[in-house]
Amino acid sequence: MSDIQAVILAAGEGTRLRPLTKNRPKVMLPVVNRPILEHVLDAVVKAGIRDITVVVGYKKEQVMTFLNKYPMEISVAVQDKQLGTAHALSCAKEFIHTKTVILPGDNYIDSESIKKMMEADDAILVSHHPHPENFGVVVQKGGFLEDIIEKPDTADESSLVSCGVYTLSPKLIGKISVCNMTDLMKALVSGKDKISVIEADDWEDAVYPKDLLSLNRHLLSAVKTSKAGIVDKSAKITGSVVIGENTKIGANCVIEGPVVIGDDCNIDGDVHIGGGTSIGSHTTIEPFTYIKNSILMNSSSVGSHSRIVDTVIGEGCICMDHISTVTEEVGAVLGDRVTVGPFTILNGCSIGNNTTIKGRKTIDFEIPEGSLVI
Amino acid sequence: MCGIVGYVGYRDAASVCKDGLMHLEYRGYDSYGIASLSPKLSVFKSVGKISNAKNISSLKGTCAIGHTRWATHGVPSEINAHPLTDCGDKIAVVHNGIIENYAKLKAALIKRGHVFKSETDTEVIPHLIEEKYTGNLLDAVSKILPMLEGSYAILAVAEGENTIVAARKGSPLVLGVGDSEYIFASDAVPLIDYTKNVIYLEDGDIAEVKSDGYKIFNGKKIVKHPISKIEWDASVVRKSGFPHYMLKEIFEQPDVFSNTIQSVKENKEVVALIKKASSITVVACGTSANASMIFSYMMEAVCKIPTRVVVGSEYKYFPTPASSLVIGVSQSGETADTISALKISKDMGAKTIAVTNVLGSSITRTADVVLYTRAGPEVSVAATKSFTAQVAAFIEIVNLVSGKKLEPAVSDILRYLPDVVSADVSSAVELCKNASTLLYVGRGMFYPVAMEGALKMKEISYIHAEGYAAGELKHGPFALLCRETPVAALCLHGATYSVMMSNLKEIKARNAPLVAVGEAGDQDLEDLCDVFIPLPKVSEYAGIILSSVILQIMAYHCAVALGRDVDMPRNLAKSVTVE
Repeated sequence: MSDIQAVILAAGEGTRLRPLTKNRPKVMLPVVNRPILEHVLDAVVKAGIRDITVVVGYKKEQVMTFLNKYPMEISVAVQDKQLGTAHALSCAKEFIHTKTVILPGDNYIDSESIKKMMEADDAILVSHHPHPENFGVVVQKGGFLEDIIEKPDTADESSLVSCGVYTLSPKLIGKISVCNMTDLMKALVSGKDKISVIEADDWEDAVYPKDLLSLNRHLLSAVKTSKAGIVDKSAKITGSVVIGENTKIGANCVIEGPVVIGDDCNIDGDVHIGGGTSIGSHTTIEPFTYIKNSILMNSSSVGSHSRIVDTVIGEGCICMDHISTVTEEVGAVLGDRVTVGPFTILNGCSIGNNTTIKGRKTIDFEIPEGSLVI
Repeated sequence: MCGIVGYVGYRDAASVCKDGLMHLEYRGYDSYGIASLSPKLSVFKSVGKISNAKNISSLKGTCAIGHTRWATHGVPSEINAHPLTDCGDKIAVVHNGIIENYAKLKAALIKRGHVFKSETDTEVIPHLIEEKYTGNLLDAVSKILPMLEGSYAILAVAEGENTIVAARKGSPLVLGVGDSEYIFASDAVPLIDYTKNVIYLEDGDIAEVKSDGYKIFNGKKIVKHPISKIEWDASVVRKSGFPHYMLKEIFEQPDVFSNTIQSVKENKEVVALIKKASSITVVACGTSANASMIFSYMMEAVCKIPTRVVVGSEYKYFPTPASSLVIGVSQSGETADTISALKISKDMGAKTIAVTNVLGSSITRTADVVLYTRAGPEVSVAATKSFTAQVAAFIEIVNLVSGKKLEPAVSDILRYLPDVVSADVSSAVELCKNASTLLYVGRGMFYPVAMEGALKMKEISYIHAEGYAAGELKHGPFALLCRETPVAALCLHGATYSVMMSNLKEIKARNAPLVAVGEAGDQDLEDLCDVFIPLPKVSEYAGIILSSVILQIMAYHCAVALGRDVDMPRNLAKSVTVE
């Protein structure tokens, strides 16, 4: 389809995911070892759109480096100040010449929903969500948008929320005079423009770190087994498991899919990896450690005899031996390049980037960036 | 040191050539030109960069040749730009290389009545072809090649034939084989928009290419070269969003580092050869020479194998004793001095290894064994990611030869490099950008790092910068120190730290502004210097790459602040294919 294009908004930080977004924008957070943005791009391409513009801003070089590796040429627009989603869209104006599907680069969306939006004229994509109060709740009448109530105090689960996905003609995009897409839609509706309300098939946003784990589980469910690397004969692997190139899986390991493990990793003997886990490239996991329902980013390591559950570990972290996470919702969120000493208990905590924890401590609070805990 | 492109097929050949030349601009960019057949020969030439070219649409037809020039004979001017033609403007030639006996040939041609328009060595070629031309360009070119001495990659066209005839000796030339279309170029990058099938022409090859097929001859016989597949795609030469290729390439370094480590792991032959060596000589130029010097320090310190570095252009006056292993290091694989050094050492019986970034480049045919760095195409003239790739290769070689002694360094670099590429060096840039001279100092392995930092700074910002071993400063350069001469120092913890600190105090005592790269939390250093750039606490060998990247970023932002043409600095070209 040449008469339709996509603009993907990828300029925001995603502050509610700090400390993970201190060093990278939310769109670049890895889910199933690939940036969220890559999942969005893949869906857009699968839906048949070939003319794609990505609006970058916060930590833009990282996004641009990623886009340069993407197997398709993508236009890049820059939003220097993050003033809002509609402002971001207007930064891409020079690239817009036809009907445009606008998508957030940091929410998962499936290609079927995008196809529905391609068929519509001016439209907004909506979905149910267990916590509508975190989103813009959509009021519709006869299939057309009437109003959007941003983050209402009360909303029941039957409410439909905006997925942040829109189809707009260049004429309507030309009318942007506000900063946020929600305000733009409200202005369009009050100006008698008809906006269809279309329900999504499959959409998920990660607002908080626990959502990141749920999104990871969600997308892991579609993973198909593929094994490169060297797997010891005595290792037991069940379910869908991806093992990257040059990765070594030691003796007596138990891996219960869905699990993805990147390239050049060392998973030592007697390690148990449970479902819902994504492990990035160049990571090391030492013997007798148990990891489940967690994200471990590139170049991190976990020592022996540890228990890592419901936890997000950033890039380049060193977790030593005998570390336990205690969990109700989230065990721990570690930023990048955090060092955690032996026998530490992480109890629902969030640890800022470049922090060092000396060990034999119980951490059940938030630790700011660059701290030293002795 | 020029770039050439030729196209024959069904597209608008002149614009294919124009796009191709833009990809080759790194090879030279003082003037450019294109000749096309439609069916009459038309030539367009101009001074300046092809990326600034507005209109070449006057050129029509489906067969054309083009050239972007880095002047060797004759100043950059429209007349000296290629393509060059014969007396009747019926035959056009583009040429990369040098015709060494051109003066003699030119004198004889003038005697025979030919009129020369340019001061170039190249112009003898169309005139020679003109004398032999009887309606078959291939015949004519074959007849005149034995008269030429020197190095060349030539493309020629003649009115009346929709054909390109190409010849190669000593200068790179590749042929892209598409579907009813063929494209020649100095490297593979211009091809990838049209085809991924490529033939690397060999020395002595002559090719005749028409839209319905190609024939390659070597010494009168038809030869069949294998068709290679290009493994990377067009995405690696895009810079979407980045203001300059250099910045894009700086940000690619974390990937380049881990890819190159992998390349060494897969190359058992290189490590085996080095393990056996009793002594090693490394030959390289420019940035590659700085990377090689880091290698020599590491080899001697960690593996105890005597290793010396010789600059390519000096090698012929200073060749190695025959028993040694000789390693030639060249990003492009086309560096004339490095290649000729490898040839000399091969003749003397040495085993040779080439470390290069370009598949099928000339150096890979010269050396016994090849190690590829995996930096991907580097467009910016100033080397960044190819330097990191070379150092990554050397670190991993030393690691494997020494029984994994550098493993901590490798994991430190993997861990910290993604963060370091976005380091903030703005205060350092403020301090340095208005200086007319800068000194870079370091000790031990940080001495070559200092030299590389200075090289980056001078080549793109045009600020005069020199890298010194910190201990050498007192032996002369101290006389330069004053408030107007900033010093950039590499002062990380490790063997060199305490002596560096006393050197830096001496420098400060002469009022020179000081930028110091040190370990985060080093309060003594931070108090001493004017601008402190902290790096994480890492093993000494990891500090080499991390601090080199800091100096790259500093040079880049200084050049941007001064409004320089970052990717294509004046007077330079990416690969130096002349002596």
